[in-house]
Amino acid sequence: MTSIDLQQARLFKWKKFATEGAGRLIIFLVGSIILWWLISAFLIERPDRYLPSPLSVVLSSADMLYKGSLISFYSDTLIRLVIGGAVGIAIGIPVGLALGLNRFVADMFYPLMNFFQSVSGIAIFPVIVIWFGNSDTTVLIVILYTSFFPIAFNVLSGVRSVPVRYIQAARTLGASRFQVVRDVLLPGAMPSIAVGTRLSIGFAWRAVIAGEMLAGRPGLGNMIFSGQEFDNTAQILLGMVMIGVTWIVLDHFLLRPLESDTIERWGLVQR
Amino acid sequence: MTAITEFSIAVQKRVGRQRLLKAFKVLLGSVPFIFLIILWELNTQFVWFDPIEIPPLSDVWGAIFFLQSDCPGFVAAMQQHNDCNLTNNIMSSLGRVILAGVVGIPLGIAFGILAGMNRTISGYLEPVGIFMNSVSGIAWIPLAIVWFGVGWETTLFIMLNTIFWLIFFNTMMGVRAVPKVLVQGVQTLGGSYYDTIKHVYLPGAMPSVITGMRMSLGFGWRALIAAEMIGGDSGLGFMIFVSAVEFKTEEVFLGVILISLIYLISDRYMLVPLEKWTIERWGLVWKPT
Repeated sequence: MTSIDLQQARLFKWKKFATEGAGRLIIFLVGSIILWWLISAFLIERPDRYLPSPLSVVLSSADMLYKGSLISFYSDTLIRLVIGGAVGIAIGIPVGLALGLNRFVADMFYPLMNFFQSVSGIAIFPVIVIWFGNSDTTVLIVILYTSFFPIAFNVLSGVRSVPVRYIQAARTLGASRFQVVRDVLLPGAMPSIAVGTRLSIGFAWRAVIAGEMLAGRPGLGNMIFSGQEFDNTAQILLGMVMIGVTWIVLDHFLLRPLESDTIERWGLVQR
Repeated sequence: MTAITEFSIAVQKRVGRQRLLKAFKVLLGSVPFIFLIILWELNTQFVWFDPIEIPPLSDVWGAIFFLQSDCPGFVAAMQQHNDCNLTNNIMSSLGRVILAGVVGIPLGIAFGILAGMNRTISGYLEPVGIFMNSVSGIAWIPLAIVWFGVGWETTLFIMLNTIFWLIFFNTMMGVRAVPKVLVQGVQTLGGSYYDTIKHVYLPGAMPSVITGMRMSLGFGWRALIAAEMIGGDSGLGFMIFVSAVEFKTEEVFLGVILISLIYLISDRYMLVPLEKWTIERWGLVWKPT
């Protein structure tokens, strides 16, 4: 009697583990790796070229780790993303604020910002290459461009969405222009600053990969591209997995909490 | 009352204040663009930058006719005559978007609904969607080149890949957000399996499907341009990349302007109204973050 109960409890526990949270993720990961291995082992001809098995990807990562190239590629890409993104956001927030301060100026620059926000950094890449050649500057400028416009546009529209009533109330109570900006406009625009940051970094991350591929600068993008050139498909898959995992970690553990916390703290201003 | 105020009041009464304000906003918004164009023209006058770096505006306009110079006519352009460079490239880019949309959107919706109806399956597939959307687009290009070689298959695959996973993921999340009560309500009234899909899941997921479509056009168009640059043999991305290598800057500028205009117009005049209409019609069940 008790043994059956125990068994049932165990089964229940196992079911709960398998269908919820971390257990589900582990099962999913193991399952997809087994599926990948099965496909590459039995379904595909010449798996080295078209879909190497997980083992060879791991071996290639060990090889690259041993040579030290993996870490240097990875750090190059991350440094580019951080520098480009940080500078873009650091310029974008003040510019967006400055343009949003005056309703007249905001109306004037809104279509311009909207236009440049939708011109993707990848599309202007050839222009930048003509200006600066295939250099690190080119990649940095593309990242800067892609991260600047989404945040500036978002801050601009965020500042504009603060009700005039609040500004007038602060003014009536004797607030100076600086105080209005600091105490009314900036907190009011905070949610859209957070949204814009996440958008900026998301676009910038894609731009880093594309920029490195096209300009041929060392980095993750170049790693997968040279993997294609040298017929080293394991290296491509390794790079892709790293790109995906990095973005998931960045998005789920840094940007998304930042965004939700900001929205929770400063809230959507009542319209 | 002066004549000017009288005139302005008369105009406001005649045209309507709201419409005047709107027109004024459009006028105001065009000021920076006009200013930029004037700067551009001044640059060609005083040659602050080399024409090879910033080509004159007239050259950019002339590039259209240069690229189309041997084109026999409109009908030949539509039939993709060999000499109509510009229209061929535009059409091959657009054709890939449309083809990928026609194949990818129904597939994404179908699989998304099937996966979203079962909570366990969708729980397992959610990480797949997140991962595939994270590796989206550009990172797939080298692998696609290995699989399909340089050419239209690669670019089509990149576009299809971006569209499918975004639509699939958004549909799945939309279907999952449909309240169970509604499904059970239809089932109690004698609705079949097919009825629940047609009358509950599909309309319930519609707003998030449309959001997925907008996102997939935004990300997919960027990825398509990059794919054409790296692994394509036609299309606007290919055109600007080749022109940049040959230092024909005016063609690059023309291509960049065309790429952004096509995206802006298709987003503003097709997808935004569609999204608005869908949300009005079926309501916002799941609010995308």
